Amino acid sequence: MGIFTKFRKKSPWILHYNTGGCNGCDIEILAALAPKYDIERFGMLNRGNPKQSDILLVTGPVTKRCRDVLRRLYLEMPEPKVVVAMGACAYGGGIFRDFYHVENGVDNIIPVDVWIPGCAPRVEAVIDGMVEAVKIWEKKSKEKEYMRNHSEELLEQLGARNDD
Amino acid sequence: MKFETLMLLLTLFAPIIGGFVYGVERIVKARMQSRVGPPLMQPFYDFFKLMDKRPLMVHSLHAVMGIMYFIACWFSLLVLFLGNDLLVAVFFHVIAVLALTIGAFSVRSPYSVIGAMRELMHMISYEPLMVLMVVGFYQVVGSFNLKDILNYDGIPLLQLPVVFMAFVLAIPMMLHKSPFDVAEAHQEIIGGPEIEYSGPFYEAVYTGKWIEYVYVFFFVFLFGGSHYWLGALLVLFVFLFVNALDNATARLDFRKMVKFSWFVLIPVSAFNIIFLALWR
Repeated sequence: MGIFTKFRKKSPWILHYNTGGCNGCDIEILAALAPKYDIERFGMLNRGNPKQSDILLVTGPVTKRCRDVLRRLYLEMPEPKVVVAMGACAYGGGIFRDFYHVENGVDNIIPVDVWIPGCAPRVEAVIDGMVEAVKIWEKKSKEKEYMRNHSEELLEQLGARNDD
Repeated sequence: MKFETLMLLLTLFAPIIGGFVYGVERIVKARMQSRVGPPLMQPFYDFFKLMDKRPLMVHSLHAVMGIMYFIACWFSLLVLFLGNDLLVAVFFHVIAVLALTIGAFSVRSPYSVIGAMRELMHMISYEPLMVLMVVGFYQVVGSFNLKDILNYDGIPLLQLPVVFMAFVLAIPMMLHKSPFDVAEAHQEIIGGPEIEYSGPFYEAVYTGKWIEYVYVFFFVFLFGGSHYWLGALLVLFVFLFVNALDNATARLDFRKMVKFSWFVLIPVSAFNIIFLALWR
C-alpha cells in the first residue's frame, strides 16, 4: 500500500479477450465505450496490450485453441491485476458446456475475481462488474503472483501433449 | 537573467504543462464524439497508477532506451528554451526519437519492429521540414538564436505563410495524429514502438510524449515573433485544427505520408524560402 495506491481506481485499463464466444458480449463492451455509456469518463481505456493493462475482461467458453493464449495473456500482465469473466459461457461453458472443443469456462484456466452474469450481460451489468473489480484491485499488492494449481495443470497438459 | 529563469522554470514544469495539454486533448476528442470524456487530471492519474505497477522489462537495453527517450526529449526542450541555436534543439530531438527506435528494434516482438520502421518513416517525413522551418526563421530574423526570434519586431507568419501551413500539416506526423499515425496505429500494431514497455518504463515513454507536445507547440508559438498574443492565438488554432483533423480522417499508408511530405510540403516550403531570399 503505497501513496499511489489510491489513484488506482481512477484509471483502470482494460484488456478484452474473446475466447470463442458468439460476439454478443463483445458488442455490449463496444456499447460501453460508445457515447451513450462512455466508460472513458471513469478513466477506463480499452488497451489491446497485456503489458499495460490492469483488468483482463474475458468473454466466451475457453476453446482448446484459445487456452494457451489466454494463460499467456494472464501471465504477461504485470501485477496488480484482476480477471473479470463476462457472460454465461465464461461461467462453466454456458450452452457450449461439455462440448469436445471447450474447456468449460475461464475458471479452469486462470483464477477469476469477478463474474458478470447474463447472456449477454447488459452494459449496466458490465459497469457494475468493473466497479467490483476495481474494489478488489485496490486491495491487491504489486508483488509477483505465482500460479499454483494452474501451472501444475499446465505442466501435466504439456506432458500429455508430448506423449501423443 | 529574468528570461533564463523563466525559461528554466518552463522547462522544469514542461511535463506538467504537457500533461494538461494531453488532458484537454482527451476532453476535446470526447466532446467531438459527443461523449463526456475523462477528467482533466486523467493523464496524471494514469501516471500515478503506472508508478504502482510491478516493474517488468524485456531486457535492460530496451528499458534504458525508453527512459533515454524521456530524458533526451526533456533535454532537447532545455536546449530550445535556454536560448540556444534552434538547429541544435532540432537535432537533439532526433536523438530522442532514435532512442525510442533503437529500443523498439531491440526486442523480438514483430509489432514493435514494424512500429520502429514506421517511426523512421515518420522521421524521414518531418525532419527535413523542421530544418527548412528553422532556415526560414534565419531568413526572416537573421539569427538562429531563440532570443532574437522572440524579440523580432515583425511577424514571421506574414513572411513564412507557406512554411507555417506545411508545418501545421506536419504536426500530425510528429505527434502521431490520425491521418499520419502509422507508427502508433492503435488498432493495427497496438502502439508500435511502445508496445513492449510496461509499468514505470511505459511511464517514461508516456511522459516523453507530453514533452513532445510542449516542444511542437512552442515552434508554433515562435511564428508570432515578439507579438506573444498572436503566438498564443496560433497555438490555440493549431491545437483545435490538429484535433479536428485527428477525429475527421482515417489512417493513411506510410508511402502516402512520405510522398505527401516530400512531393508537396517540402518543395512548397522550399519555394517560400527561396522566394524570400530573392526578394530581400
